[in-house]
Amino acid sequence: MNPHDPPYRFWTGRRKEGLLGYTFASPWLLGFIVFGLYPMVMSLYYSMSRYDVLRIPEFIGVRNFSTLLFDDPYFWNAVWNTLFYTLLRTPLAIAGSLFIAVLVNNAVRGVRWFRTVYFLPSIVGGVVLSVLWLWIFNPEYGLLNAFLNLVGIKGPLWLQSPEWSKPSLVLMSLWSIGGGRMIVFLAALQNVPPELYEVVDLDGGGWWRKFYHVTLPMISPVLFLWFIIEVIFGFQVFTEAYVMTKGGPLNSTMFYNLYLYYKAFDDFDMGYASALAWLLLLLSLVITLAQFKIGRFWVYYESERK
Amino acid sequence: MPSRSVLLVAFAAVAVVVFFVLTAPTRTLLADGKLHLRYWTITGAKDVVPYYAGSFNRMQDSIIVETTPIPWQEHEKKILTAVLSGDPPDVINQVTPVAKWASRMALVALDDYIARDHFDTTAFFPSLWGEMKWQGHVFALPVSSGSYALFYNKRLFREAGLDPERPPRTWDEVSAFNDKLARRDGTGRIIQMGFIPNYGNLMTSILMAWELGAQFLSEDGKTVHLDNPAAVKGLEWTVKFYEAYPQKDIAAFMAGFGFADQHGFISGKVAMMVLDSSFPDQIRLYRPSLDYGIALIPTFEGSPTASASGSWWLAIPRGAKNPEAAWQFMKHAVSTPTQLKEVAMTEESLFPASRFAAHDPAFKNSPEREIFVAQMEYSHSPSVVPMAHDVFWREFLGAQERAIFKQQSPEQALQQGERTLQRMLDESLAYDSYVRSRMTFPGVK
Repeated sequence: MNPHDPPYRFWTGRRKEGLLGYTFASPWLLGFIVFGLYPMVMSLYYSMSRYDVLRIPEFIGVRNFSTLLFDDPYFWNAVWNTLFYTLLRTPLAIAGSLFIAVLVNNAVRGVRWFRTVYFLPSIVGGVVLSVLWLWIFNPEYGLLNAFLNLVGIKGPLWLQSPEWSKPSLVLMSLWSIGGGRMIVFLAALQNVPPELYEVVDLDGGGWWRKFYHVTLPMISPVLFLWFIIEVIFGFQVFTEAYVMTKGGPLNSTMFYNLYLYYKAFDDFDMGYASALAWLLLLLSLVITLAQFKIGRFWVYYESERK
Repeated sequence: MPSRSVLLVAFAAVAVVVFFVLTAPTRTLLADGKLHLRYWTITGAKDVVPYYAGSFNRMQDSIIVETTPIPWQEHEKKILTAVLSGDPPDVINQVTPVAKWASRMALVALDDYIARDHFDTTAFFPSLWGEMKWQGHVFALPVSSGSYALFYNKRLFREAGLDPERPPRTWDEVSAFNDKLARRDGTGRIIQMGFIPNYGNLMTSILMAWELGAQFLSEDGKTVHLDNPAAVKGLEWTVKFYEAYPQKDIAAFMAGFGFADQHGFISGKVAMMVLDSSFPDQIRLYRPSLDYGIALIPTFEGSPTASASGSWWLAIPRGAKNPEAAWQFMKHAVSTPTQLKEVAMTEESLFPASRFAAHDPAFKNSPEREIFVAQMEYSHSPSVVPMAHDVFWREFLGAQERAIFKQQSPEQALQQGERTLQRMLDESLAYDSYVRSRMTFPGVK
């Protein structure tokens, strides 16, 4: 070591700055470690245990997972219900929002008023919406069957029929198609360069050509994002079933998260519920990755243009 | 150097937070020299301090019971987290099965107090007292319960040509009476029913199973028999009922039902229903002119009637700091004179857990009450498989639903439920024996 070197100091300017940075970030870091990371790590451990909250966990390896996958009829029923709901709801919700966005993208008189009107329903949400729709779906006195009666159709039992309960919940979720999703689509539509439409006009293409060959490719990244968000959102369906149907009739609305809730907070079978939670994470991960793979074939990014 | 002072402030802030977390008050307040007992009670719409808490505070001056009403929603989880925190209230009030808590070592056993004070355990209805026990130890004291009976609408009976003073005694009679009372309109829509198996406070099929002597759990508590002849017979009756009156027609008919004057019985749309002992209050409130009678719950020829109880109880959670004072308070709360006062003073009809109170002329002052008291002697605990309580009910209901929708025969449906229930019970038992060899709490058995 060269004797003319300055003495070794640990707290150099860089290190000090680093420490200061972490100090300022510490409220969030602490919060994340205590309320985010710790529960996640513990739930992974619990997923391999028997645990009833009031007593110590007992480690049992992958037993919860093998029971779930091979010996629990409710599990596969819940997976099926959730997939059915998600696969039916996602395309309808996205197409619906896109349709409304295209409608209110036209520069007609009072378009702002229409945008507001379409947006309004989405302000109501959660439990309130569920209770409201309980009445709309009421087979005797509900609005829906009253309308159907007017046109001479005898409406179904909706939520009380095992065949109609899931489609009913999908129908209900379309209530908010004019909400945030529509606003994002509207913004995306307004970003499509008008000269591209002019080109279609010059080539003699109509509105369908414009929509199919210009609009859709140009907004495909936004659509892709919403497909991912809505699929994950669909997997999380809970409130409607918890408030309106409690999983019935015949377990036709026993969605994944509802089953998880019953296991965790009715049976206090936290180990099993944690295993369910981790399987749901895996399932969402697999489907999202698959979407990314498929997305390559239909999503167009301008920055990638060759 | 500015950065140093910023650091100092940041660390000081963290230190303050840590200090408050570590020194958070955990002990009973003793500012006025009295022992403050923390009591958590469940309330409905109104926050009422129960009579027994107020009277206990007045009758002695060393203990003050501080009543904290906790809302019905999520009450189980509130108490659960309080026990888990190690600083629970001194006394809790619950209606979920005692065994569900005791089996998970959440309650302090009361055996020693009962023996020491020669506490009279025969004062309570046997089924209610039975609910207080888990594996031979007593963990709670019953405060109040509900009793049930068959309510029937005399006007509808008259209109259908039935004798209004002759309620049905057997389920076959219920069926026959229903055929006379049920009415459809021109389009085939049901507009009136005599009886609906799954509308009312108790499930008909479980009552039938109990009446026929169903044993759902083996003596040693290790084997479940969901699929037993009594349960099958109960389901068969129910399925047969829905063959004559399709489930979807009844669902459409019931869609208009709700609370208060939209209730099926109060609105006069359903002629016979099994309802609880507080229901006459609702009738008085919403339709005082309703001409109705009360009878014992029907049964099968040659079998005793059956009913469910489900006691409200008081207990000392594990980790509570003042068990002796808590016991004194609980003893006062469940005593016969206190219960009689409580029943008389509470707006909503309570049914006393004390047999002496129930048979006291001050309580048994009407023919209705006579029936409720008589029915209480035939009540069964809803805690059928304590170690898998919620699973039992979910499986029983699920089996019934599958049978009604004709997905499975009653027997197949019960067999499927039995498999799930047995698996859950096995898991619970294995976990229990693991925990009990590794965990103990003072006073918890």
